Amino acid sequence: MFFHIVLERNMQLHPRYFGRNLRDNLVSKLMKDVEGTCSGRHGFVVAVTGIEHIGKGLIRDGTGFVTFPIKYQCVVFRPFKGEILEAFVTMVNKMGFFAEAGPVQIFVSNHLIPDDMEFQSGDMPNYTTSDGSVKIQKDSEVRLKIIGTRVDATEIFCIGTIKDDFLGVINDPTTA
Amino acid sequence: MALTIEHFNKLVKLAARAFYDDITTKGDNQPKSSRSDNRGIAVVVLDALTRRQWVREEDLAKDLKLHTKQLRRTLRFFEEEKFITRDHRKETAKGAKMYSAAVAATADGTQTGKEGEEKVKLHTHSYCCLDYAQIYDVVRYRLHRMKKKLKDELENKNTIQEYICPNCGKRYTALDALRLISMEDEDFHCESCNGRLEVESDKLATQEAGDGDDNARRRRREKLKDMLQKMEVQLKPLMDQLNRVKDLPVPEFGSLQAWEARATAAARAANGDGSASDSKTSLGLGQLPYNGDTKVVVDFNGGESKGEDIKSEAETQKVLPPWMIRPGMNLTKEQRGEVKQETKMDEASTSTAAQYSDDKKSAVENDDKKNIQDEFIKAYYAALLKKQQELEEAAKKQDDLSNSHTFDNPSSSAANRQVGMKSKRAEDEEDDGTEWEEAPVAGNTSENYKVSDLNVQADDAAADDEDDVDWEEN
Ligand SMILES: [Zn+2]
Repeated sequence: MFFHIVLERNMQLHPRYFGRNLRDNLVSKLMKDVEGTCSGRHGFVVAVTGIEHIGKGLIRDGTGFVTFPIKYQCVVFRPFKGEILEAFVTMVNKMGFFAEAGPVQIFVSNHLIPDDMEFQSGDMPNYTTSDGSVKIQKDSEVRLKIIGTRVDATEIFCIGTIKDDFLGVINDPTTA
Repeated sequence: MALTIEHFNKLVKLAARAFYDDITTKGDNQPKSSRSDNRGIAVVVLDALTRRQWVREEDLAKDLKLHTKQLRRTLRFFEEEKFITRDHRKETAKGAKMYSAAVAATADGTQTGKEGEEKVKLHTHSYCCLDYAQIYDVVRYRLHRMKKKLKDELENKNTIQEYICPNCGKRYTALDALRLISMEDEDFHCESCNGRLEVESDKLATQEAGDGDDNARRRRREKLKDMLQKMEVQLKPLMDQLNRVKDLPVPEFGSLQAWEARATAAARAANGDGSASDSKTSLGLGQLPYNGDTKVVVDFNGGESKGEDIKSEAETQKVLPPWMIRPGMNLTKEQRGEVKQETKMDEASTSTAAQYSDDKKSAVENDDKKNIQDEFIKAYYAALLKKQQELEEAAKKQDDLSNSHTFDNPSSSAANRQVGMKSKRAEDEEDDGTEWEEAPVAGNTSENYKVSDLNVQADDAAADDEDDVDWEEN
């Protein structure tokens, strides 16, 4: 699920960036630093959308670096148990398949793949129905439901299922 | 319509027995003993509520011979279960009276003693009634969740796959998958010894006391299947009933205030006198004040006279319970519980609004109204007498054919009206007078309510309607 929230961060800036563009430099460094990171608490920071407030800089003894407290708005993505996501398949093996929904990695184990889909090994390992009409392989798009998340301080990993109504392949790269 | 409400009531009764049969509502401090075991209370309370609309909780407790506290606990439980709506308000004796009047107008207006009511000022009273719309949803959701839970468990859904290292016995779950993949092959590998992990054979989410041997798993599976099957069989009546009410309009009583207003309005329309408490002669007002559905078909002719209105109301008899109604019975619409509400409401709408807000102003109106009503009543009793005579004659003439004579035949209403009109001119003063004297003047004591109670009225009517009874039984 996406959230638009306000976060705070202390940014350290090298003295060489001081000058007319100090603010711009600060903001672009903020974006570089936080976008794409993940915290267990808030999820993945997708994008910084605005700056609320930049506090007074504090010069650090000995280094000349200056620390600015920044309040910024950003969009974060936090997966939840029970959430339905659409994801790209990144890897298929006999244990199941891995998929990505933006920054989130999801593993779907083979017992959460419908029983009528069999694993086919080969150059392009895949799960296929007996009549061959539905195939899950690398780059397939699937809709899945998250049934478990592991949230670490800097990482979120999910396991999902496609064994439920309206879940499964939504776009097959071979037919598209 | 009343028939709709019957269907919903059946739903409530079925749900009560299916889910709340063994619910005990006990204070935490009470010791568990067989003496204080009040299982089944929940069902009794729900059943009682199906026969009522908004009801004051003290009254309900008295009717059920329950302690108020005990009843409150049960009601609070059902409020949490989303079965009932409750309303609490501080009220004076006047407010209580208003409710009493409303109750007197309903079918189940069993009124308990109100002596000393006047002294009780500004007490918080609680009221409750069934919330049919919500009950329907809650029961459906409950069934859905039950089924889904069993099915998910049976199909092993939503369980997190486990892996085990055959070498060192280390266990992993699917959540570790990212760390377990290796570049060499498509297996998962142990982090400690790099052994090839094996899938821990599918295990149900509910832990099987450590050792998940095959037998235990199979037994568990059987048990789940059994439960699912039993559920399908045992809850079938409930599901059938849910399907039955699916497309019916849900009966709603509205908020307590709205309901009271409607009920008293209906009562006044019938009584023709202003004070709400003075609910004498609830003349066959044996219907619910409001049935959640205003689309009532009134199958009288367009140019109906007012005299007929009264007649149709007065003809009203006790609504028979559905199990008593059999095909082929010669019943009036009212007896079947098909209420003709609109005639009353129309009448009411002319003056009740004013009456409601301003008693003084409406007093004049009421006098007028009362006169008119008196006329109606006279006409009605005259007509009734006439009708009896007719019936007696008819009974003499035709023994067998009398069965086919229908009271509720709409086409016969024209004839009825004719009779009513005719006899109005030759009205029977004596009869009328006595009837009115019998009616109580003030509606404060319990006895008065009893007299205006439907049953008594029905008896009165039935007393001189013995012919009717006879040919109805045939
Ligand atoms: Zn190992």
